[in-house]
Formats: sequence, structure tokens, C-alpha cells
Amino acid sequence: MKNTVINVEELKREYVKRGFFGKTKKVVKAVDGISFNVEQGEIFGLLGQNGAGKTTTIKMLTTLLAPTSGTCEVLGYKTFGEEKKIRSRINFIFGGEMGVYRRLSARDNLRYFSNLYLIPEKVQKERIESILKLVDLADRADDLAETYSKGMIQRLQIARGLINDPEILFMDEPTVGLDPVGARMLRDIIKNLKADGRTVLLTTHNLAEVEELCDRLVIINKGKVIAKGTPSEIKGHEATLEDAYVKLVQEVTA
Amino acid sequence: MNFKVLFSTMKVQMKQSFARPMFRFCLLVNPVVNTILLYEMYRNSGSDNFMAYVVLGAGLMALWGCICFSSAGDINRERYSGTLALIYAAPAGFPAIILGKIIGNTLMSLVTLCISLITAVVLFRVPLHLENPLLFLVALLSAIVTFITISSVIACLLTLSRKTELYMNCLEIPIILLCGFVFPVSVLPNAVQFASRLLSPTYAVELLRMSVNGCEDPALFREKLLMLFLLTLIYAVLSAFLYKKIDRRVRIAATLEVS
Ligand SMILES: Nc1ncnc2c1ncn2[C@@H]1O[C@H](COP(=O)(O)OP(=O)(O)OP(=O)(O)O)[C@@H](O)[C@H]1O
Ligand SMILES: [Mg+2]
Repeated sequence: MKNTVINVEELKREYVKRGFFGKTKKVVKAVDGISFNVEQGEIFGLLGQNGAGKTTTIKMLTTLLAPTSGTCEVLGYKTFGEEKKIRSRINFIFGGEMGVYRRLSARDNLRYFSNLYLIPEKVQKERIESILKLVDLADRADDLAETYSKGMIQRLQIARGLINDPEILFMDEPTVGLDPVGARMLRDIIKNLKADGRTVLLTTHNLAEVEELCDRLVIINKGKVIAKGTPSEIKGHEATLEDAYVKLVQEVTA
Repeated sequence: MNFKVLFSTMKVQMKQSFARPMFRFCLLVNPVVNTILLYEMYRNSGSDNFMAYVVLGAGLMALWGCICFSSAGDINRERYSGTLALIYAAPAGFPAIILGKIIGNTLMSLVTLCISLITAVVLFRVPLHLENPLLFLVALLSAIVTFITISSVIACLLTLSRKTELYMNCLEIPIILLCGFVFPVSVLPNAVQFASRLLSPTYAVELLRMSVNGCEDPALFREKLLMLFLLTLIYAVLSAFLYKKIDRRVRIAATLEVS
């Protein structure tokens, strides 16, 4: 039986930029009426060019941003208005070197975030140790994060995203900055999450990764869906998913 | 309210703040400099109790500086390091986390009072009296609480708008003057005094000074304490109201992140 955990319908988000004294107004349609849904246990890809609206979509799904209009539901609840019912059951990782406390060690970071996720002391200890091992940070766990390399910070982010054992994990370009071994580690983590019945929604610009991981995906461009389906459906007759992607994007921009 | 969240946030906050050179400067160097300057200013003023104006004044100035540049600036720091979104969406609840940060910072900032005391004793060997330690404790505690509620209002406004930091930097000196940190409010023009009367630190400072100089009029002390309490309550209600408001506003205005 299918269990829809993410439901997005005609979702829109505009950013309004005001000039001095609010006289001039500029509206950016970052997400312009997208629809898709994700079933429990799926690995779902969100693809698109820079500025397509991927991060904006993820922010709306993770209760960080209010939709301008449309439906945006996670685990059956509205992400704006019913966010309290969602937050403890999901987590998110944004790529890059942000989102960790650089003046704390990896272990202190994880301990702190597990407190913020109200995870009982007993569970915390074991979980933190096993996550540190999982992301291969155990031997540097007590060094300050500011002494880490870019990829190590990224691993710490991944660890943080797993701290509450989320039912759905949102990842925005999670492999940015990871070395090949790290990227494979992440792919293995994602596959294990799936094997565990967890759902993963991710964005990436690496189409080989998408082919390896994703059950289904949507491609968005300038805030609109231009293709959706399984990787092989989207690939069609093209040699690789990348070829298909480039062709699709060129078609709509032409 | 979850105490574990509160305490762990306080701890993390203190660790982080202390790691910042600017905070260490505000915390450790500012009170020394303030004490020296104020001492030179008050030396020939005929006032014989330096505790009230030099030590307290210098300590409070530095304490307020820590609050302006730290408790307030922290929200922006979190925003730029991408952790504001994380704590905002954490199940522990944003207000509890912010409160933990503010309490942590404020308690640590009390070090400024000790440092200005030590500076005065070591450098100037001036006579210092604390006439009424019990009242001083009451006054200090209420001062702490009122500073915490003020920081909470500021943190709220900062979450909503990045520009608040600019305003905060402009607020440091006026508050020091308006609330009479280093001289009695009564020397200010009447119209200005009116503004002073609406600011709770004014009463906190007066209470501290009364307890240092010896309180001859317990009724006056109680009256000022009541005013301090009322204003603090108003600020607290205001910040609770603001948190409710901003919870929706920040997601509509997209101010959690820098992008
Ligand atoms: N806070 C903001 N204020 C104004 N405009 C914004 C804001 N955030 C994003 N935008 C705009 O919205 C559009 C979509 O941005 P978004 O970050 O969602 O793209 P993306 O698909 O994640 O791109 P990338 O692949 O580069 O990460 C862009 O045109 C961007 O400039
Ligand atoms: Mg993006």
C-alpha cells in the first residue's frame, strides 16, 4: 500500500524585494506552481538549474518558509500552520559549510542538537557514537569544528541531520565538497535509510548520483516542473540521464 | 519550558561567546578602561563613595555593551552561519533556545562588575563600601532579570530584520546616558528624564546605587522596585507577544537566512 508522505500541489512562492521606502517593488517567482508527491520509503530527486527554485521548495517543505499559495504537506500536515507536528519527525541538511557551530566539537554539536530535538539522555549517547562512526568522524570528534576541512564539516552536517532518526530527510546538495569516498559513504547512508523505510528528498547537480539513487525525480526550471518520472522514464532514448536533462532544459529555455 | 534545553543552550552560548575576541574584549577589557576613565572623571568631584558611580557605572556600561553587541548580535551570527534556521525549526522551540542564549550571555557578562571592582581596588585603592548587601542582591537580581527581558525583545526584532543590528549599535550609548549608568538621571533635562522613566534599567541602576550608599528610605526603594518590576513585566509580555507574531512573519518574509 502506498503511503504519501510529501504532497505538493500548485505550490508557489514569491519573494518580494522592496526598494527604499517600499516604493519600488520587485517580485521574484521562485516557485511557480509545482506539483509532485513522494511515497514513504522513496528516494526522490529534485533537479534543476541554478536558481530553479529547489532550495526554496525544500525550505517550504522543512517548515522554514511560508508558501505564497498552493498545498505543501509533509506527513499529512501543513508545513505552515501545523509545523509543530512535523518538526520532530523530519530533518534537513543544507550543503556547504554552514549549519554547524564551528566553535564546538563534533561531539558537542551533536550533543547540543540532540538536546534541541528532545532526545532522551539514554538514547543520545549511543546514537551519537554510532552516527560519528557512520560519518567517519569518530577520531576527530573532540576537535573544534573550525579545524575541520570542508568535507568534514559536511559530514558533521550529515550526522546532525540523522540525530533525531528522521522519518524524512531533506538534503540540499549534500555531496557538495565530499571526496569520492565521502560521497559514496553518503550514498550508502541514503540507501540504508531507504532500506529502513525512511524517505529521502534530495537535490543535486550530479546526475550519475541521481541515476544510482533516485526512485523518482522532478526537474524544475524557473519555478515550473518540466519533467517528472523515474530516471529511466526521463532518460528515454538518450544515452545518459545527463543528455536527457540537458536536452530538456535547452528545450524550455530556447 | 525544558530546563535541559535551557541549560545546554546556556553552556553552548557561553563557550561560543567566550571564544570570540570581540566578546572577550567587551567582557574583560572594557570594564577596566571604563573604571579608569570614570575614576579620573570622578576623582575631583567630591563624591567620596566610588562604588556607586565608578565601579557600578563602569561595570554596568560594560555589561550593557556585552548585551548590545552580543546577545543582540548573536542572532545575526546564527543567521550567517546557517544555524538560525536549525534552531528555529528545532522541536525544543525557538523562544526557549533564545532565552537560554540570553541568560547564558547575561550571566557571563556579570563578570564585568567584578572586573571593574577589582580594577578600582587594585589600581586606586579607593574606599569602597557596600552599605546594604541584602538590598544590593535584590537590586542585582532584578537588574539581571530586566536586562534579560530587554535582550529578549531585541533578539526578537533581530530575528525579524537584519537591520536591527545597526540600530542596536546606535542604542548602546544613549541607553547608558538615559538610564543614568554613570551619573544620576536627575541632571538630565525634564523631557529627557521622562524617557528615562520608561526604561527599566533606570530603576535598576537607582536601586543598585541606593543599596550601595545605604538606603535611608525603604519606601522609596520598594517604590522603585515595583516600577522596575512593572516595566520588566511589560517588556516580558511584549516579547512573548512579539515571538508569537514573528513566528509567522519570519517565514513569510524569509529572514531566517541570508540568501
Ligand atoms: N531570500 C530571497 N529573497 C529574494 N529572492 C530569493 C531569495 N531566495 C531565493 N531567491 C530567488 O529565488 C529563485 C530560486 O532560488 P533557489 O535558491 O530556490 O534556487 P535553487 O534551485 O536552489 O538554485 P541552486 O541550484 O543555485 O541552489 C532565485 O531566482 C533566487 O534569486
Ligand atoms: Mg539551492
